[in-house]
Amino acid sequence: MAPPIYSALIISLGLGTTMTFASTHWYLAWMGIEINTLAIIPLMSQNHIPRATEASTKYFFAQATASATLLFASISNAFLTGEWDILQTPNTLTSSLITLALAMKIGLAPLHSWMPEVMQGLSLLNGLILSTWQKLAPLYLIYQIQPTNSNIFIILGLLSIIVGGWGGFNQVQLRKILAYSSIAHLGWMILIISFSPPLALLTILIYLLMTFSLFSSFMLTRATHINSLATTWAKIPILTMSTPLILLSLGGLPPLTGFMPKWLILQELTKQDLAPIATLAALSSLFSLYFYLRLSYAMTLTMPPNNPAGTLPWRLNQQHNTTLMALTTTSTICLLPVTPAITALLPL
Amino acid sequence: MTPAHFAFSSAFMLGLAGLAFHRTHFISALLCLEGLMLSLFIALSLWTELFNLTHNSASMPMILLAFSACEAGTGLALLVATTRTHSTNRLKNLNLLQC
Repeated sequence: MAPPIYSALIISLGLGTTMTFASTHWYLAWMGIEINTLAIIPLMSQNHIPRATEASTKYFFAQATASATLLFASISNAFLTGEWDILQTPNTLTSSLITLALAMKIGLAPLHSWMPEVMQGLSLLNGLILSTWQKLAPLYLIYQIQPTNSNIFIILGLLSIIVGGWGGFNQVQLRKILAYSSIAHLGWMILIISFSPPLALLTILIYLLMTFSLFSSFMLTRATHINSLATTWAKIPILTMSTPLILLSLGGLPPLTGFMPKWLILQELTKQDLAPIATLAALSSLFSLYFYLRLSYAMTLTMPPNNPAGTLPWRLNQQHNTTLMALTTTSTICLLPVTPAITALLPL
Repeated sequence: MTPAHFAFSSAFMLGLAGLAFHRTHFISALLCLEGLMLSLFIALSLWTELFNLTHNSASMPMILLAFSACEAGTGLALLVATTRTHSTNRLKNLNLLQC
């Protein structure tokens, strides 16, 4: 794609999210979200292959429907209460409808069906933008709604954790696995957002770190299938050490950073007298851990059933810019001891 | 719920049902999307007329029209791209990404 067009699209992506972050009026927030959707469609379909076109089409329909529903709910709220301010959306019916529209935007269950197929059709870089940047604006709006009852968030969150785990069981394509992992993590965020919004912010930040590291690892070897993971030892041996650690961090295992948000969320839910929900969430995240472990196993403990000496690739001196990836990978693995400092800073 | 509110709500719900349950053609889904945007345009114009007596946000419907036109253009571009790659605009043919 020509550099002026490419940079215009990237700047539009930044502009859309910035507009939504800077707005207190529902209309301006909706406009930012629309700009985001319109800017990413050409990025997704730029190489004109059938899978990318199909993924862009499905993404477009899901996002356009959700945006229209969001605007409809905002206008209904304006008709019923006369308020366009985001921080004051007191009417329960319209704020529930706004929440559902935003849930469809980010791919929470039960409105998640577009997510695995769309992620499958995109390149790894576009999938990274979809899982990280495109989630920021709707999550910020959900953060600001400040609902009175938390039922809808608990239902969305629990369903997403269960669907995100169960749906990834039978998958061998890495991008679909990443889509289901995204659904599960967003479920954890939504679960806690009505009880402790700072904890949801922490979960978002840690999820961004972990997902960026994982996508970067897959981009280095251009792996899109579990079979491609098995040859990583021959291409970039250090990835066979770091990627399983990133995967286990995504699964939420203790000495790694991914344990921090889950631990704090379970503690907060227990303090709110919702111990059965906390138990169900913790047990359902075992499903996700199963397929993360399968990826780690394929990467570290298996060798492909072919003649290694005859199929080793040339170890050429490649120019990989891995500065940011090194930073985020280190944060994904080593940040758990910093939990007391983060907990002290949380009420920010 | 005032009659105006009921009118555009039911128009929106009909369009949403059409978008959710479209079965054969891609372009009928795009038409329903346009119908949704039209009902929202009418809703915003009615809001300005009935509730905003200073008319200081009377430009809201026009901005909605601009965004809706951009979205319609994107939808049509995707329709053309789909017809080029999948040779049809039938929705049953969008099945490459299942496994």
